[in-house]
Amino acid sequence: MKYLMLNCKEATLLMAKKEEGKLSFIGKLQLSMHTSMCSFCKKFEKQTNQISTESKHIHAEERMSDAANDRIIKMIDEHSF
Amino acid sequence: MKADPKKWFVLYGTLLYQYALPRVSNSDVAEDLVQETFLSALKGVDGFKGEASEKNWLFTILKNKIIDFYRKKATEQFIISMPDLRSAENDWFDAEGHWAENRLPKDWHASNTPTERKEIQQIINWCKDHLKAIQQHVFTLKYMEDLESDEICKVLNISPSNYWVLIHRARLQMRDCVEKYWLKN
Repeated sequence: MKYLMLNCKEATLLMAKKEEGKLSFIGKLQLSMHTSMCSFCKKFEKQTNQISTESKHIHAEERMSDAANDRIIKMIDEHSF
Repeated sequence: MKADPKKWFVLYGTLLYQYALPRVSNSDVAEDLVQETFLSALKGVDGFKGEASEKNWLFTILKNKIIDFYRKKATEQFIISMPDLRSAENDWFDAEGHWAENRLPKDWHASNTPTERKEIQQIINWCKDHLKAIQQHVFTLKYMEDLESDEICKVLNISPSNYWVLIHRARLQMRDCVEKYWLKN
């Protein structure tokens, strides 16, 4: 049974592979066994999933500079004639 | 319906900029990318038949420009050295691969309300900006641009084994950093 047991370093790497859909059936089994027994890795997986989800929604609040705005409008105007 | 690039700029210019800025971490670059997006749109407007919405079309152009930006950056980077990458993983784990005492993940309080989510997004963005160059590029392309690992390897000109070490380390570092600032709240 020993070959099934991952350490935490291995488990956290397999989580990255799982995210990509690049984990084998054995790997998935190994990983879920590990996280069912290791609360730290379970937390790690949950938290990195959260970071992954939130990252896609990141956007700035600032607006472009007036200079850039003017430049682009000018470019559009010049291109249209 | 006649294409109206000026109207598109009024409607979507700011949104495009606000999307680009956290993904390139530089306001001048982000402005340039928005300008290049509209330049491409102007050139291609005759081919735009309205199959997608103009918003989606513009965002697609922008996303490709962002990828080009990273592809170009990769040609300017020094080659990453593998020993440097290995040692960082060992900061988190001991010789047996167990978590180091001072690196154990802690419990995070919830971040479900729009305000909390906005806060954690800002923390994530800050932490991402403090990753080292190649790791930042990998993190951004993977988690902000949702590219597959194969494509990231092509864009950044790295091997798959480099990629896995980099993404593993980026995840460890990001989670640590986010935890540090999230738990301060």
